[in-house]
Amino acid sequence: MAGLTFSGVRKTYPNGVRAVHGIDASVGDGELIVIVGPSGCGKSTLLRMVAGLEAISEGEIRIGERRVNELEPADRNIAMVFQNYALYPHMSVFDNMAYGLRNRRTPRNEIARRVAAAAKTLQLEDLLARRPGQLSGGQRQRVAMGRAIVREPDVFLFDEPLSNLDARLRVQMRLEIRRLQQSLGTTSLYVTHDQVEAMTLADRLIVMNGGVAEQIGRPLDVYRHPATAFVAGFIGSPAMNFLPATVAATGSGVIISGTGHTLTAAVTACEPQRPVLVGLRPEHLLPASEDSAALKVAVDLVEALGADTLAHGILPGDGAGPALTVRLEGSRRVDVGDTVPLTVSPDHVHLFDPGNGNRLV
Amino acid sequence: MIERRPWLNVLSHFVLCAGVLVTALPIWITFVASTHPADSLMSGRAPLWPGAHLFENYATVLDSGLRAAGSVPVGMMMWNSLIMALMIAVGKIVISIIAAFGIVYFRFPLRRTCFWLIFVTLMLPVEVRILPTFGVVASLEMLNSYWGLSVPLIASATATFLFRQFFLTVPEELAEAARIDGAGPLKFLFDILLPLSRTNIAALFVILFIFGWNQYLWPLLVTTDESFYTIVVGIQRMLAVDDAEPAWHLIMATTMLAMLPPVLVVICMQRLFIKGLIEQEK
Ligand SMILES: Nc1ncnc2c1ncn2[C@@H]1O[C@H](COP(=O)(O)OP(=O)(O)OP(=O)(O)O)[C@@H](O)[C@H]1O
Ligand SMILES: [Mg+2]
Repeated sequence: MAGLTFSGVRKTYPNGVRAVHGIDASVGDGELIVIVGPSGCGKSTLLRMVAGLEAISEGEIRIGERRVNELEPADRNIAMVFQNYALYPHMSVFDNMAYGLRNRRTPRNEIARRVAAAAKTLQLEDLLARRPGQLSGGQRQRVAMGRAIVREPDVFLFDEPLSNLDARLRVQMRLEIRRLQQSLGTTSLYVTHDQVEAMTLADRLIVMNGGVAEQIGRPLDVYRHPATAFVAGFIGSPAMNFLPATVAATGSGVIISGTGHTLTAAVTACEPQRPVLVGLRPEHLLPASEDSAALKVAVDLVEALGADTLAHGILPGDGAGPALTVRLEGSRRVDVGDTVPLTVSPDHVHLFDPGNGNRLV
Repeated sequence: MIERRPWLNVLSHFVLCAGVLVTALPIWITFVASTHPADSLMSGRAPLWPGAHLFENYATVLDSGLRAAGSVPVGMMMWNSLIMALMIAVGKIVISIIAAFGIVYFRFPLRRTCFWLIFVTLMLPVEVRILPTFGVVASLEMLNSYWGLSVPLIASATATFLFRQFFLTVPEELAEAARIDGAGPLKFLFDILLPLSRTNIAALFVILFIFGWNQYLWPLLVTTDESFYTIVVGIQRMLAVDDAEPAWHLIMATTMLAMLPPVLVVICMQRLFIKGLIEQEK
């Protein structure tokens, strides 16, 4: 068991693509860290540098106290679960799990014991003699997990392990992975671009964008206090609404540009007339009475999901106003063409710098 | 593809039967000829039904050969051919697997150049480079040896290319998983890549064995010592007798025997192909 430390890690591919621009982070012993971000932001690259499948261009990665930059993947004591599982097609489930141990010259009875234990945990006992081609997607996923577990590694690395499964199985396997990771207490890095997976699995999140870590923190902290507009838009579903605005001269709120709507917000730190980007989560917009409403949205599309109803609309103003999505209770009837009056608590008004996207406190 | 048109069935069967007839008739005539005594073939009319001298003819051929006609026993020539064909087939497969493995899995300077160099040799079959090759083999004193028969034919751009294409279809993650599992390059080759290429190897073996077995021009050049004659060369020598009628019945028997090993190889390996095709791994 060991933690994991990144210091100033950068990656430049031989063809000149700069995929990771300096990551500093430390992962505690037994912690599950989810690396989340849009496609191409360098998540896999970072994970593969930990695994030793890509050279580290600059900086240092330590597993426990050990600098691993120069070590072969097999010597780093890590285990990786690939997106397509990468099971050896011609080997039985048993051999797939045992292969790594055999290469390390683990004694036979020890191999048998570990594989049996993993198979029991993962309910693979009846499938040990089969080959990967004879398994369902979920079972293959489990075998891939089993292959990682039997090695008893310091660090588990998961690269989008659930993205080839259907939605229901994904939810189930997500729970299983969490349970397993907690019972084994193994430090884990988990890459995904599914933010629900990220929120539910993580002890802490690393939100990446364009090769940098925009924010590192516990899922709820990231949700409540996103450090940048990017993080705010990426975490949370449906995504946060962003409205251009300026700080009111009175210093008590912000005025949404082009609509005349005024929102009360904590703007004491900002000079008056300053342009800002207002972030409002759809779930924080609450229906209100006509006269207490801060915003009035003209609905032009309704998605009824059962438990919730998503109303998409615009804030009317001069010209086409900014778009807004609201999450309403499923029991509430909304129709296209309605105007819904809304309020929002000042705590839930996020302000960002329109230039660099940083949070304004 | 299932089509329900009876006349199409009839037509396709007719075409197939005609094809079989065209291919099989010469073989049948060869077989029939090999069962007759010498004089019944000299009459000018080829018999269509087997005669009574089957065992006699084959025993003669296998036992003494056409010593009378100045040739070595067929058994020995078959043995030579077998060794040569096996050396060529196995050698080609081994070399091309190693070459393809290097090209696909290792990064080294001039990798692409190496690949294209190998590829370009496709344009240089033995027939084109026969004089220089003969010169090299002669100066290495490999004339009249199994090495001389097989080594110059052993490099194969086609097989290298086929294995390269196959290796490229093997997911990269498999190599990475093996690396994490502590398998070095050779272990990866033997434990993972070779088992996965099983059916490709079997298919190539059949093709290359037959290619090797049917070699004519090169063995004709490098063997002057009768004890290294291959069967294909041997048959030709039997025809070239001075001042006498060729012993057609014995030549035909030899031809039948010469056909046997390739047919056996195809039949044996066919099992593996079909098994491989059915159990196509995902
Ligand atoms: N072998 C490579 N050579 C050159 N550039 C690469 C290589 N692999 C990835 N890249 C580039 O590096 C960047 C980061 O890629 P990476 O695979 O880490 O993205 P990712 O965050 O995992 O995306 P996804 O969610 O789509 O898997 C991309 O711009 C990609 O084009
Ligand atoms: Mg990726």
